[in-house]
Amino acid sequence: MTLQQILFIVISLVVLGSAVLVVTTRNLFHAALFLVVSFFGVAGFYVLLDAGFFAAAQVLVYIGAISILFIFAVMLTRDVITAQRGNSQWQAAAIVAGVIFLIMALLLGPFSVTIRGREFGNANWPFAMDGNAIKAAPGNFVGILGTGLVDLNQYGVPFLLAAVLLLVAMVGAIWVARELRGREAERAAAETAVDDADMDANQPVQEPLPLIETETHEAHDSRNAAATEKH
Amino acid sequence: MTVFEVINNILKIVGDAVAAFIISILGAGGLADFVIMLLAALIICSICAVAFMGLTYAERKIVARIQDRIGPNQAGPYGLLQPIADGIKMFTKEDTTPAEADRWVYNLAPLVIAVFALLTYAVIPFAPGVVGTNLNIGVFYVIAVGSGSTVAILMAGWGSNNKYSLLGAFRTVAQLVGYEVPMLLNVLPVVMLAGSMSLVDIVERQTLSNGGNGIPFILMAPLSALIFLISGIAETGRSPFDLLEAESEIVAGFHVEYSGMKFALFFLGEYVNALAVSIMFTVLFLGGYAGPILPPYVWLLLKVAAVFTLLMWLRGTLPRVRVDQLMSFNWKFLVPMSIVNVILVMVIGKVFVADAVLAQSNGGIAVPPIVQALILFTSSIALLLASLLLVARQARQLRLVEAEDIEKRVAQNKVAAAKVVAQ
Repeated sequence: MTLQQILFIVISLVVLGSAVLVVTTRNLFHAALFLVVSFFGVAGFYVLLDAGFFAAAQVLVYIGAISILFIFAVMLTRDVITAQRGNSQWQAAAIVAGVIFLIMALLLGPFSVTIRGREFGNANWPFAMDGNAIKAAPGNFVGILGTGLVDLNQYGVPFLLAAVLLLVAMVGAIWVARELRGREAERAAAETAVDDADMDANQPVQEPLPLIETETHEAHDSRNAAATEKH
Repeated sequence: MTVFEVINNILKIVGDAVAAFIISILGAGGLADFVIMLLAALIICSICAVAFMGLTYAERKIVARIQDRIGPNQAGPYGLLQPIADGIKMFTKEDTTPAEADRWVYNLAPLVIAVFALLTYAVIPFAPGVVGTNLNIGVFYVIAVGSGSTVAILMAGWGSNNKYSLLGAFRTVAQLVGYEVPMLLNVLPVVMLAGSMSLVDIVERQTLSNGGNGIPFILMAPLSALIFLISGIAETGRSPFDLLEAESEIVAGFHVEYSGMKFALFFLGEYVNALAVSIMFTVLFLGGYAGPILPPYVWLLLKVAAVFTLLMWLRGTLPRVRVDQLMSFNWKFLVPMSIVNVILVMVIGKVFVADAVLAQSNGGIAVPPIVQALILFTSSIALLLASLLLVARQARQLRLVEAEDIEKRVAQNKVAAAKVVAQ
């Protein structure tokens, strides 16, 4: 076994292990940290593939953004450490993940499947990067990648699909938040009567303070004078 | 090889000799390469640790002078042994852990912060041929690694299970994520002018010898240099942007619960990061090791020392900014100005081309490099002045509106008072 293979196996174990821990650990904060480890491992894969640009982008975009996720996890969740709720839809999620994994394994792995007379699989991956171009100019990976991302014969379509994925995630997040807002309002109405701990959040909004409190000495004095007159 | 050449390249000669020695023992191959890289990493990390000790001493002395004090003067001559005394103190201190702390996260955080701080030094060119690794995405790598410290600070803030720590960590995210934007935007003009993201190439473009024109980028993009320095200070969390550890507000922020060597690691991370920002400023804008007569590494050392002294000077002089000022200064002033600056450099770089061959093939007016630099410099300064003027006018209008408001209120009060008197 070469050094590269050993490194690949070690990094794979780290990535897969921490990915499993992300979904199994109960502590949200730890889950986010395991996600960081997993992403870091993926950056390691890119380094093994001599794709330094991807590795740096992975670290910058994902690990930099995870910190924001931390903040939301802490701010939007009650009792982050002790929360003991699971996801009720985990079976559906597992099925979808399994199907997607199978499709990807079919497309990328050493298998092929024939649908309507067209063969999909190993050799016929429709969006292939020009391997010969990379071999011809090993230093120019970034340039080849750039053209590969906009060329429809190479990675143009998957790149656009990734953007759609982000859109779907955003729409999903908004939907979940709207759903929750309706329920939260009902629950909050029921809870305010009993739950003292929530008092702070549900207190009526105070009138904003005036920008500058001006009470000139003159006015103050005259009011005092008025007060004394009444006496 | 003349004596001068030997002195100029002493680092590279010694390094090559050590590498040759290791290969002679282990034989050429993967193992020898691995050992050589390990040794290089060890040397770079040790240099950082030694620099950390020197910097704490220098900073304490210089800031003391600014504040009309003497600074450390008891341990050794001129207090020179103070860092060692501090080290002994740190080692012998009790290592405490808060009772309800998230132990793994709490203990891992200082390590992560120190590792991310040291990773930057892998790509910095110290002298011609003396660089950990010449990545073709060097600048990008430095910024990517810099973003890792945000996670480490959050880990510390969370793991300590302390309100003030968590508050400090939240502030950190807002500040570090925010100031990353102008920092990136102002590295971009340098990358465009140099035509490369490799730090070695960027330095070579500013030297006279290897295909460069000897003009440091601070003269071609002075506004970028200024904003890079400001956002760099904010990224390292030093005064006047030290909101993440503001002692008077949130005790010491994310590292309030740490003691002993763990605290020392945070301290190390802070100084190593500040040094990295000074080195990056030197490499990107001041020409790195480029300079006449003196050996390259001496030039780098001198320039970095000058930039770090500037950082200490700012620390000793400026008061801490408020959190809303910090945010509005970044998003409403630095970021828009940086975007305009990037567009400006982009257009001028395409219209006035310093390379005659490029001008012919890509279009544009061929001018000598010095003229291009002059045009870039003038437009940058003009942009800075214009933005300052705009902001000043805005502020003046705001003040006028406020003054009017005050006058109105005073008048109302007078009427009210008159009514009271009348009653």
